[in-house]
Amino acid sequence: MGGALIRALLRRQERWVLAAVGVVLVCVVALPLGAPLLSLGSSGGSLSRAFRDLTNHARLWILLWRSTWLSSAVTVASLCAGVPLGLVLGRTDVVGRRALALALALPVSLPPFLLVLGWYYIAGRSGWLGSERGSAWLFSDAGVIAVLSLAFLPVVVALSALGVRGIDASIEEAARVAAGPRRTLVWILLPAIWPSIALAAVLVFAMAFSELGVPMFLRRDVYPAAVFARLGGVDYQPGEALVLALPLLPVAGLLMIVERLIFRGRSFAVLGASHLSTNPLALGAWRLPASAVCWTVAGLTGAPIVALIAKAGLRGLLAGLDYVGASLVNSLATSLIAAASIAALAAVVGHGIARRIRGSALLDALSMLAFLTPAAVLGTGLLAVYNRPMTGWLYQSLAIIVLGFIARYSVVGVRTMAVAVAQSSPSFEESAGAFGARYVRRLVAIVLPMHRRALVGAALLAFLFCFRDLETAVLFYPPGGEPLTVKIFTLEANGPPPVVAGLAVVHAATTLVALAIGSAWFGTKA
Amino acid sequence: MNSNVVRTLAIGAAALVLEMGCQRRNEVVVYTSVDQVVAEPILDGFEKQFGVRVRAVFDTEETKSTGVLNRLIAEGGRPQADVFWSGDPVRPFLLVNRGFVEAYRSPNAHDIPPSFKAANGEWSGFAARARVLIVNKNLVPSDPPKSIRDLIHVRWKDKAAIANPLFGTTTMHVAALFAVWGDEKTRAFLNALRANGVRVASSNGEVKRLVSGGEVAFGLTDTDDADEALKEGAPIQVVYPDQDELGTLLMPTTVLLMKGDPHPDLGKKLIDYLLTRDVERGLAESAAHLPVRAGIPTPADVRAATSLRFMDVDYGKVGAELERIQPWLREWVGL
Repeated sequence: MGGALIRALLRRQERWVLAAVGVVLVCVVALPLGAPLLSLGSSGGSLSRAFRDLTNHARLWILLWRSTWLSSAVTVASLCAGVPLGLVLGRTDVVGRRALALALALPVSLPPFLLVLGWYYIAGRSGWLGSERGSAWLFSDAGVIAVLSLAFLPVVVALSALGVRGIDASIEEAARVAAGPRRTLVWILLPAIWPSIALAAVLVFAMAFSELGVPMFLRRDVYPAAVFARLGGVDYQPGEALVLALPLLPVAGLLMIVERLIFRGRSFAVLGASHLSTNPLALGAWRLPASAVCWTVAGLTGAPIVALIAKAGLRGLLAGLDYVGASLVNSLATSLIAAASIAALAAVVGHGIARRIRGSALLDALSMLAFLTPAAVLGTGLLAVYNRPMTGWLYQSLAIIVLGFIARYSVVGVRTMAVAVAQSSPSFEESAGAFGARYVRRLVAIVLPMHRRALVGAALLAFLFCFRDLETAVLFYPPGGEPLTVKIFTLEANGPPPVVAGLAVVHAATTLVALAIGSAWFGTKA
Repeated sequence: MNSNVVRTLAIGAAALVLEMGCQRRNEVVVYTSVDQVVAEPILDGFEKQFGVRVRAVFDTEETKSTGVLNRLIAEGGRPQADVFWSGDPVRPFLLVNRGFVEAYRSPNAHDIPPSFKAANGEWSGFAARARVLIVNKNLVPSDPPKSIRDLIHVRWKDKAAIANPLFGTTTMHVAALFAVWGDEKTRAFLNALRANGVRVASSNGEVKRLVSGGEVAFGLTDTDDADEALKEGAPIQVVYPDQDELGTLLMPTTVLLMKGDPHPDLGKKLIDYLLTRDVERGLAESAAHLPVRAGIPTPADVRAATSLRFMDVDYGKVGAELERIQPWLREWVGL
């Protein structure tokens, strides 16, 4: 009997493993997102008011439209600047490539509300480059687009560079027999990294769409502010907030359809088991101009951080260290554990999406929905689900932050892994399957070693997102267990500006160290 | 990822859960909407004096915070907090009205004036903030605004700022106006604010930044924000508005005990501590809070509540207005 059960389980390994991952995602995403519906169900008036608001208020639809076009503009601007930078960074001999990579990655370490604070110190009316016109421009839609595009640019650069570095060297070498570096970049490498570009576009759009701090700082109305008004104001209505989040479902669906259309009918089996050729593409006469452009963009993305450092001064930095307390350890511990968990989920779901295993698309959609839904809705749902006698130990510990991170950022790891697996040929797995290797064995012995680089990249990216998170953790962090971003945020209201800036610098520096360690590990082990 | 890394992470995860999840006896949990920079030293003092660990959740008036009040409401019948230390006297009524509060008459509240505490002990108020105008002296060297009505004066068109009235103390201020002026007059006033180009900032802290930075000539904010701006060396002047008629809105911080809290005895001990005259004096010195009790010395630049003409409001009524006007306010803001 037992043997038969084990044999049956082994035969259906694929289904059981996916089901286990599905249970995790249901617990951290589906239940919390569904919880506010219960509060609606218990109050019919609230439900009808919520739907009436949604259907009758033209203002809400205008806000939705505003958010959509602002996010689209941010996505286009980030892609236009980020993809060329990623290609240059990933495969050419641009001056100071490693330093440039770190400089470009740094802004993603800080929550956007700190970056916009840095821009305010630069371009506000009394800023270092302040003027009437500059201030008016900063506090406009154009300002929102510029600040967010520069804030999210590192995501596009990193994914494009990772994509291009994953391409089998033989493909590029074959192209270079007949074509120069420019044609190889444009006609061979660029089309080969479409999945990475699509992933970057989806992530940037989703982040820009759900961003609340920057538009509100710059006094531009956006849709997430309407959702937040049902949760952050006196009129606490989580059910209504969820109803207002419903229009995000078609947005999420549309994003996924667009991404699938890019995949459809194309072979992306370009990822090599062998790695890069040792020689980067020589830019020749273009090397210095290209380097100047790259470093100028890096300077622009880093400008708000420089402004924060200048504002902090030595006194602020030292005072900031006094204020850090346990918050840095809280941030590091929760982010590391969440990133490792996300990598594990990503290995299964990402592979499933790329190989079109049944059920994977549903899990993918769930993780995408959690990423796109305003964090406040997800957070109040987590609170409602886990503040119970049975799960009180979890709600009162840092584990609740880990759960929140997994819920919100699993899509980052899943998508990174899916793109990497989609870029490789399934022939190895098919061969192993023909010789009797079952799903788990194929996953552990073939897929993971082959995509070790992508797995580490997914974990690193997930870590970055978790470490910089503010909007999710601020809603339910356990008493005395605040992460560093929350500490900065709560102090930002009335704390001394040098201390706030000093803490932001501590945060950025820690991220830099984590990135340096990660990229060193990436280079040597992956 | 090698097995050592996995093992380390697994041990770390287990340690986190054990460290944080185990119920501790000698600790008290406080949720507070008083600014962290102000509240933390006070709570540290309690830890040092009594050897009881304080675990705190801090709030902010900035827009991204859902707010500890809503977290308390969401936690409802299973509160994690023992004590709520509110930055204003109105939000506690939202908890009182929902039956989430345990009455407790602290012996240290005996000399607090009756208008600043509940007769049945459900809440006690002390160290107050006031709603003030901060004026940029470089932009307005003379004849500063003296009333909140100046926000709608044509002289100040496009030159003033208030915080978003959906959040923070501005909500309370607007609710107080509804309670004192009535619907028609207050709605007309708010619509006139729009017409006069008053900027709606995300928080009082941002109002302070806008005035200090010269983005606007003056703004409506709280005394602690004004004090912070003065400490930063900003070129501002503080005006207590409407001293001739309406009065300045006063907002005592309030403290209350949560019903069904995990550590009720220690919660009461913390409330007793917060209501000492020493703490009220400390808040006057560190954050320019106005003592509500007579005889508490204040720094030269801090006024005692008794020296001001303040708005005559019933905080309970303001609390009721606060909830009633939310749908209208959301429309006014455009959300």
